[in-house]
Amino acid sequence: MSALTIEFAGCRYRFAGLNPEQADLARSRFEALLCRDDARPDVQVDVHYSPNPAGFMRRPVGPVGYRVAVEHGEDSIAVAGIGFTSRVERAPLRAQMQTCLSDEWFLGAFENLFRVVASYRLFGEGALVLHSAAFTDGTRGFLFCGRSGAGKSTLCGLAAELELGILSDELNAVRYSEGSFELCAMPFAGDFGGAPRPHPPYPLTGLLGLSHSAAPLVHGCSKAEAVSRIVASCPYINADPLLVDELTARAAMLVERVPLRVLSFAKDTRFWSVLDHEYRSPHATLSR
Amino acid sequence: MSTEAPTQRYRVDPHARFRVMDDEGIFVLQDAGEVLVVNEVGAFIVEQLKAERSLDEMVTAITERYAVDTERAHADATSLLDELLRAGAITQS
Repeated sequence: MSALTIEFAGCRYRFAGLNPEQADLARSRFEALLCRDDARPDVQVDVHYSPNPAGFMRRPVGPVGYRVAVEHGEDSIAVAGIGFTSRVERAPLRAQMQTCLSDEWFLGAFENLFRVVASYRLFGEGALVLHSAAFTDGTRGFLFCGRSGAGKSTLCGLAAELELGILSDELNAVRYSEGSFELCAMPFAGDFGGAPRPHPPYPLTGLLGLSHSAAPLVHGCSKAEAVSRIVASCPYINADPLLVDELTARAAMLVERVPLRVLSFAKDTRFWSVLDHEYRSPHATLSR
Repeated sequence: MSTEAPTQRYRVDPHARFRVMDDEGIFVLQDAGEVLVVNEVGAFIVEQLKAERSLDEMVTAITERYAVDTERAHADATSLLDELLRAGAITQS
């Protein structure tokens, strides 16, 4: 059995009990984020492999999109997906994973559990993990929250054409640090994105929702709509009865400091000139 | 699912949370991980139902607060209550 430790957004996650095939799969996917295994982890996940598929959600035939089943208990969170089940203990945060997978399907199970564990860890650290797309121009960070179909991957594709740096088209974290909010990439990607790589945190310059229109436009919205868009975009936590009030309060604090606006965009790169103009710093404008 | 009974009362579903923000209201529906926003009048109606007011009492409160007649207030209230019932944000008590 072997273990590996993955680090991002200032947190270390140690996965222990991996068999050689599982370890190779996880290592190849998260290679750029691996850290020394003797580093003290913030969260430990113990993996228990049993090849008998009885009792696990079966592999589907053909293409599949499915949601991981999550049930919130007082002391722990139960998570289940194709080929695995898990119990995530709330305090201290750690997880036990049972799986019958050891081939390429294991990586899907691994990432599905990792998303949940990382979301809880970062929330515990004061951050919000949002179903979102995010990119940077090297100095400013832009986050676009929205659920499936909102246009996150499309926007990332367009941003890549403009050579903007994509953080993730699926999950990103926002955390408060030294008087301002910063944007942290998470190593999970939807339709757009390759292997995870380390990113520094970026100042959260733009916090936006998405909608479609013929021409690019940025407009404001009410505080209630802004908070609702944030809360709706925080997976796992927004369905947790023990944390949803804290989540809503944090979302309200975020939009007080970084107003959420809505970007309406078409499938072309014109959106960037609108964003670039809207979020140009007053200092930069004055210096022109 | 009828909301027509004038003495009918409602309550926020135990699996939903309601909060007012700058006059508007937000429902977080935990089971679905969904969020609903209601406008100022909607938030006022939800505050009335949280105070255990019946449909008739809500309608009266709406006409006293906003410049609308009883017929319009009743239509707006029942429409919103039906929508919130369908969404699972409130239940009939």
